[in-house]
Amino acid sequence: MQLFVEQLINGWALGSLYALFGIGFGLVFSTLGILNAAHGTYASWAAIAGYYAVERFGVPFPVAIAAGVIGGGLLAVVVDQIGFQPLRAKKTGMLGALITSIAFWIILDSLAGFATGQQSLAFPAASYPNQMVVMGPLRVPQMQIITIVALLVCTIGIHLLIQKTRIGAAMRAVGWNEVAAALGGVNARMVILLTAFLAGATSGLAGVLGGISTSNVSFTLGEGLMLKGFAAVVVGGYDDVRGTAIAGICLGIIEVFVAQYISTSFRDGFTYMLLLAFLIARPRGLFGSASFVRA
Amino acid sequence: METFLDLWAAYGSTVTFAMVNALFALSTYAVLSTGVLSFTTVVFAAVGGFLAAQLSGKFGLPLWAAFPAAALGGGFAAAVVAFAFLRLESHWMALASLALVLITRVTALNAPALTGGVNGLIVPVRVEPLELAILLALCTVVFWRLHRSWFGLASRAVREDAAVASTMGISPYRIQFIAFLISGVVGGLGGAALAFTLQFISPETYFIGIAFTMIASTVLGGSFHWLGPIIGAAVFTALPTTMQAIVPQIEDVAKGVVLLLIMIFLPRGLIDPRAWGLKKAAKLREETEAKRAAERDAHA
Amino acid sequence: MSKASAAARTLRGVLAGAAALAIGYAGTAAAAPAAGEYGVGFITENTGPLAAAGVSYHRGAQLAVDEINEGAWIGQGVKLKLNEKESGSDAARAVQALTQFSADRNVIAVTCCILSPVAAALKPVTTNAKLPLVIYGATLPGLPQPPYVTSVVGLPGPQEVKMSKMLAETLKPKTVAYFVNADNEGFQNRFKAAQKVMEEAGVKTAGVVSILSADTDFTAPATQAMATNPDLIMVWTTQTPAAGIIAALRARGYAGKISASDVISPAPVFKKIGAALAGVPFPIVFSSEISSSPEAKKFVEGYTKKFGEAPDTYSAQGYTSLYLIAQAMKSLDGKPSREDLAAALGKASAVEYNIYGGLPMVNGQAEVQNSLVAAWTADGKVVRWENK
Repeated sequence: MQLFVEQLINGWALGSLYALFGIGFGLVFSTLGILNAAHGTYASWAAIAGYYAVERFGVPFPVAIAAGVIGGGLLAVVVDQIGFQPLRAKKTGMLGALITSIAFWIILDSLAGFATGQQSLAFPAASYPNQMVVMGPLRVPQMQIITIVALLVCTIGIHLLIQKTRIGAAMRAVGWNEVAAALGGVNARMVILLTAFLAGATSGLAGVLGGISTSNVSFTLGEGLMLKGFAAVVVGGYDDVRGTAIAGICLGIIEVFVAQYISTSFRDGFTYMLLLAFLIARPRGLFGSASFVRA
Repeated sequence: METFLDLWAAYGSTVTFAMVNALFALSTYAVLSTGVLSFTTVVFAAVGGFLAAQLSGKFGLPLWAAFPAAALGGGFAAAVVAFAFLRLESHWMALASLALVLITRVTALNAPALTGGVNGLIVPVRVEPLELAILLALCTVVFWRLHRSWFGLASRAVREDAAVASTMGISPYRIQFIAFLISGVVGGLGGAALAFTLQFISPETYFIGIAFTMIASTVLGGSFHWLGPIIGAAVFTALPTTMQAIVPQIEDVAKGVVLLLIMIFLPRGLIDPRAWGLKKAAKLREETEAKRAAERDAHA
Repeated sequence: MSKASAAARTLRGVLAGAAALAIGYAGTAAAAPAAGEYGVGFITENTGPLAAAGVSYHRGAQLAVDEINEGAWIGQGVKLKLNEKESGSDAARAVQALTQFSADRNVIAVTCCILSPVAAALKPVTTNAKLPLVIYGATLPGLPQPPYVTSVVGLPGPQEVKMSKMLAETLKPKTVAYFVNADNEGFQNRFKAAQKVMEEAGVKTAGVVSILSADTDFTAPATQAMATNPDLIMVWTTQTPAAGIIAALRARGYAGKISASDVISPAPVFKKIGAALAGVPFPIVFSSEISSSPEAKKFVEGYTKKFGEAPDTYSAQGYTSLYLIAQAMKSLDGKPSREDLAAALGKASAVEYNIYGGLPMVNGQAEVQNSLVAAWTADGKVVRWENK
């Protein structure tokens, strides 16, 4: 029983990382209509930014996290302005941006390799909360609690932002139809920048938290998050952050349980079979609205 | 002659890979030209590749018998995929097809009896560049004929506006289904061609790398004409070799930058029939104006 | 024809004959290949998933070429030149690099590959091209196929058996839990060899936890292994997972014994994981801090001088692959052809100049004779392991 609960928490924390990453990926997809192959590199670079903040300047833990989050957000804005903005005027749809995002993926991945000296680095143990919290018979690492809370806060925050605020309404409007939104008085440029930053920052948070708790700061970090975060987005429905959050957590828990109680070789197979089942049976995801059709 | 042989020996493999990639790009183009962004070419390639590898490895099938089998396998996979996916809205289609690529790799990894699992398969048969060129030429002829046929016209209509196309009596579903079948056949051929070129395949062979290579080749070359994917594949395949020769330290970065620049400045790709059309129209306009001016002068 | 040109022709003929004589004479006297620069193709993996190890292999080879050239190791005026092409551990790119090398007439041999599937993909190509290939990293049994494919990497097995026996005797564990890569045959073989030794010594298997090479989160697998309450945890996985597993076990408060493989021996792994690695035994065939033969000392000294850090087990393998090629070159007369070189490589019964204190070759496959059991100290030194 103790093992069961411990693994449940392990899976929950792991899934929270997938979900956090997926939220960023889904935001760009639903609001800006971009299938962004470079999204994983935001997470890698956020972790690298956080790592060097600690390594070079010895900053405390919250500052390292902030460095990663802001770094991820700024990188996303730069990529958007160089790679995607010139194509918006030319109306190339999803296709052109997909190719420029592949270009950025190649560039940023390769540069990340140089930035870490082709090594997998790890945050020094003293630079983050690395104790275990004892709750009765359970021992839970502090980083897991931080990760779980981070997802809760981000999900609720972003959900409220999109559904209840004027900015959110503008984001939804741009996601629906950019031209109509502009005619309706929405500053589309502002919304695009804000969405890109928010998406990069959320995925950056996943990157820096993941980099700390898995002792892996390298370009492989983003790739791993990308594959699973993508699954969370598809299962959860890309136009609703709540769906992504729940789907991500479930995927993490399922992954851990399949490895613990069945077999590791089936673990990824199980995840992707679930993905396939959702694609066929409920293609709009958990919370995806049935009427949602992009113009 | 010697220099030529040296050059061929050095860059022959690049040409070979360019031809294989051209098949993948044509497969992607087949569906893209009806307005569907799909990564499932990788799936068809995996089916064709493993089928061809097993048939030639276990049953000693010769090359030219393995290719049709791979084409059939790819086509069959495409029929299944099209049946399941075509009802999805276009954004979901893109996501779903990407998910299917991930699923294919995991499935291949867990079916070692069929695919060799993590250790992969040695392919005993080798395709000569000339044979590959013939195969690619055959496929190109088919695409050329299709482009000029009713189907080509209908697929362009569906791509531009599916709703309008259906009011004109064209069923977008039927057009896209046929496009998927073509994509499957060509993708299966490409998968087999890759297997016979590398002579070693594993589940990692048919993964995201190919997905991005083929979509980048297609869009880079131009997705509005069958020549586009072939040119695009040649450019995209030659890019790493060129960059390695020029800037070996940062070849990947350079490759990405070149891709980025081409897309920003030529977003419709290198081969763009609309640009030809515009040029032709401009020339025509110039000529008429010149004629008119001449007439005016004559009257004056 | 004028007289002048006829005379010139005669003179040319005489000169050519003299030159031929001179070369022939020099050749027999030194019993070495004709002077000149010979290219060795090196398929690097300095980017991609295995770049950390790839850089070390490459540096080892660079140092070997410097030493061979400076000391005229092959013969007077015979120099090697390393030609690099990057593969990023991708089979297709490696095949392209190899075919380009085969077209370059100056390249006489190629050395490559960390991953066994990549090496397997190159095998038919290199055999077709009749270009000798020396494998510096991949360890799947059956890869070498003399004369064209040879390997300087000892197969896993003996070292693992030796360490497992030692641990069974000194630690006397009752149960052992194992971590193993589900997707890496080399490590599965190591795990099976270790498990066999343990079970023969009466040590029960508490549990086997499989992980995948691309995994990064090991908290759950660590929890799983700890729940089996083992006396010893043996980690038979590739580098990134091994480091992650040991870090996760210690972070979750596991205080018992852990053992691992030589993947944790490079210095960056210690820099990354730190004191959690201290006291974890691993088998190793070369360690810059323990290996004490004169060859090993020279290697460590030269490497540290050139690159500002101590060599690891991977740089040792890259270094060895170049010395094997040089050794085969040395045995040839005149202008060596690729075929002759391949034959010489295939016939080699040992890598004569090596840092391992002996490295015999059987059917083109190196076999490791001497291995040590080492461990990190808490302050980051590699020492012989002792039970504490």
